[in-house]
Amino acid sequence: MTDGPRLGYGTNGFANHPLGDALAVIADLGYTAVALTLDHAHLDPYAGDLACRVDAVRSRLAELGLAVVVETGARYLLDPRRKHHPTLVSPRAEDRDRRVDLLCRAVRVAEDLGADCVSFWSGTAEDTDAAASLTRLDEGVARVLAEAARRGVPLGLEPEPGMVVERLGDALALRARLGDPEPLRITLDVGHCVAVEPESAADCVRRAGPLLVNVQLDDMLPGVHEHLEFGEGELDLADTLGALDEIGYRGVAAVELPRHSHAAPEVAARSMAALRSATWLAGARRRVRERPETIRTLFPAAGRHCGRGPVRPASDPAGVVHGTADDVARVRLLEVLGESGRAGEVVDLYRYGDDAEKRGVLRGLSTVDGMLPVEDGLELVRDALRTNDTRLVAAALGPYAAAHLDDHGWRHGVLKCLFVGVPLAAVAGLAERADEELTRMVTDFAAERRAAGRAVPADAERLLTGASGGTA
Amino acid sequence: MRIFDPHIHMTSRTTDDYERMYAAGVRALVEPAFWLGQPRTTVGSFTDYFDGLIGWERFRAAQFGIRHHCTIALNPKEANDPRCAGVLDVLPRYLAKDGVVAVGEIGYDSMTPAEDAAFEAQLALAVEHELPAMVHTPHRDKATGTARSLDVVKNSGIDPGRVIIDHLNEVTVEAVLEAGCWMAFSIYPDTKMDPDRMVAILRRYGLERMLVNSAADWGRSDPLLTLRTGEAMLAAGFTEDDVDTVLWRNPVEFYGQSGRLVLDELPGFEAGTETFAGNSVLRGARDR
Repeated sequence: MTDGPRLGYGTNGFANHPLGDALAVIADLGYTAVALTLDHAHLDPYAGDLACRVDAVRSRLAELGLAVVVETGARYLLDPRRKHHPTLVSPRAEDRDRRVDLLCRAVRVAEDLGADCVSFWSGTAEDTDAAASLTRLDEGVARVLAEAARRGVPLGLEPEPGMVVERLGDALALRARLGDPEPLRITLDVGHCVAVEPESAADCVRRAGPLLVNVQLDDMLPGVHEHLEFGEGELDLADTLGALDEIGYRGVAAVELPRHSHAAPEVAARSMAALRSATWLAGARRRVRERPETIRTLFPAAGRHCGRGPVRPASDPAGVVHGTADDVARVRLLEVLGESGRAGEVVDLYRYGDDAEKRGVLRGLSTVDGMLPVEDGLELVRDALRTNDTRLVAAALGPYAAAHLDDHGWRHGVLKCLFVGVPLAAVAGLAERADEELTRMVTDFAAERRAAGRAVPADAERLLTGASGGTA
Repeated sequence: MRIFDPHIHMTSRTTDDYERMYAAGVRALVEPAFWLGQPRTTVGSFTDYFDGLIGWERFRAAQFGIRHHCTIALNPKEANDPRCAGVLDVLPRYLAKDGVVAVGEIGYDSMTPAEDAAFEAQLALAVEHELPAMVHTPHRDKATGTARSLDVVKNSGIDPGRVIIDHLNEVTVEAVLEAGCWMAFSIYPDTKMDPDRMVAILRRYGLERMLVNSAADWGRSDPLLTLRTGEAMLAAGFTEDDVDTVLWRNPVEFYGQSGRLVLDELPGFEAGTETFAGNSVLRGARDR
């Protein structure tokens, strides 16, 4: 996806760096764009000498090869006491004028910088008269639009949780009320989609389609407006980047982590690693969708592009229970294989796979359940259970084995976990499938250990005392 | 002295060898796919072997603190057996694997039409999979075989900087130098090079694009001849840095072109407790 979006980073996540330093760090990490929030320390639009400073920034951006969008969400630029105040929906006309003035200044700065757009949000309603808020908003946007049209700078209206324009639908409605003016486009924060939209971020991207002029990237949890690093929330980053590619979006997509300035260089480096991994995965999924046989070379390559670290390092440092980054990527490839009606390919992926690929197949079996003969899937599970590779044994006893493996084979699999030290937390459906015969086998196992003067694994004790579910 | 042996067949060696190699400074190696002495008769025999190169042997080397990589190919000798030719169809799967750093050993044994076809097809695979290529030169009629190999490489369109021509000697080195390929020398008793002759070649032709390997296998050979060559270089007045160039930095530069070298130290290999398919290579040697 070399022709995909221009990946960038927001300067509001570098609030403790002078702008020049922030741009250098961002470019060094491999970003090719920046979302520049006009703020006291970063190209303050109210301080003197603005034209000269804008000129210097434009030269610096060119030297570093960075594309730019202008953001206007600074917290205390207009009012030192009230965050984000005033706004386009403030009740007092003179307050709204101050916001319009800021946005018009931003448009002129964007023009001089050669920025893709000026991004802005609506504001939080300050009274209960919803209709009045909308009227004020429409009027304010129209005034800024006039300046934007004059300067040839598109505006990106960003839906923001808690504000009058909260969801993508609100932004599209406003645009319709104003007669679908060409310069009024959409800024989409994909984390906000997770937090407040009824559909996925990828579907929001598709809905915004050609109106998309700016994208902010971050993770979030449903219902919680807190910007998180990738992987800490529920965003499907690969799917989202895939959707951007699908709609042909070539603009700026910049990481938006305004509360991470204290560790900005490290966070930006981690974010870039996550973006590279997700970009590869999105491209690989697209290729498998187009030509399913390409999975034969993409499946082995997953570790090189997506990493091999454990998904939950704190509780599962070896990735035995919850898997590893490459396991997750491989399962995502198998999903597409299943959707393409080629689930039978997993048999050869396993046959020709190294240990990591075999693990990926085992962890993905339940995603292709019903798409290949159960006997074929079970053959792979049984093969893995014959090995003594603890990660293969653990991966074999996932939901697929829980659903399909015969009682005898399944019990021996559980006992093998106790033997080789696989935490029983790795066994799917343990509570549901544990039966009297398993209890007898584990009781005998414990007795044999005690007779030999050896310790009984804690998981075995837990299983026998009924507190099944294991550790981790 | 840190040593990267760019050509050694560990499948044929013992754990004693691994221990001696680690003690001598070997921290990384490349095991090229080749013939096994006993001819293969089926494609399945190859795939089991390839599985070993990317699985069991990599795991075994790791138990001794050595990073194992391999090259994958249909070797020239067995390219002549129609029962084995089908292996070309499964090569793409293996060329995509972690730890596979080149297509090889390819090239000539008896210079037959079947060898021509396999050689050309596999150079094309190297280009397609963005991997370097590792070319074996024949034991018999070596000078002619080397010249013909260079022609095939040239016609394939692969960048000569991504090709090793191996098992060179005083007679064949110059043609490879001129062609821009990497020059590899096997320090192998009786039939190939020895440390002192190797030092003479390095004196005459310099260190650039030069690789030294032991090619140790199931024959009478010695995995420590890389170390002996390094010692002979020092005795002849080369610096420690020169030795590091030949025995470490050059192979890292060449095989690094694959993008798949992993060279960080193996974490805690001395205290590892993993088992592979039911086997503990160091059974009884550790607290379990």
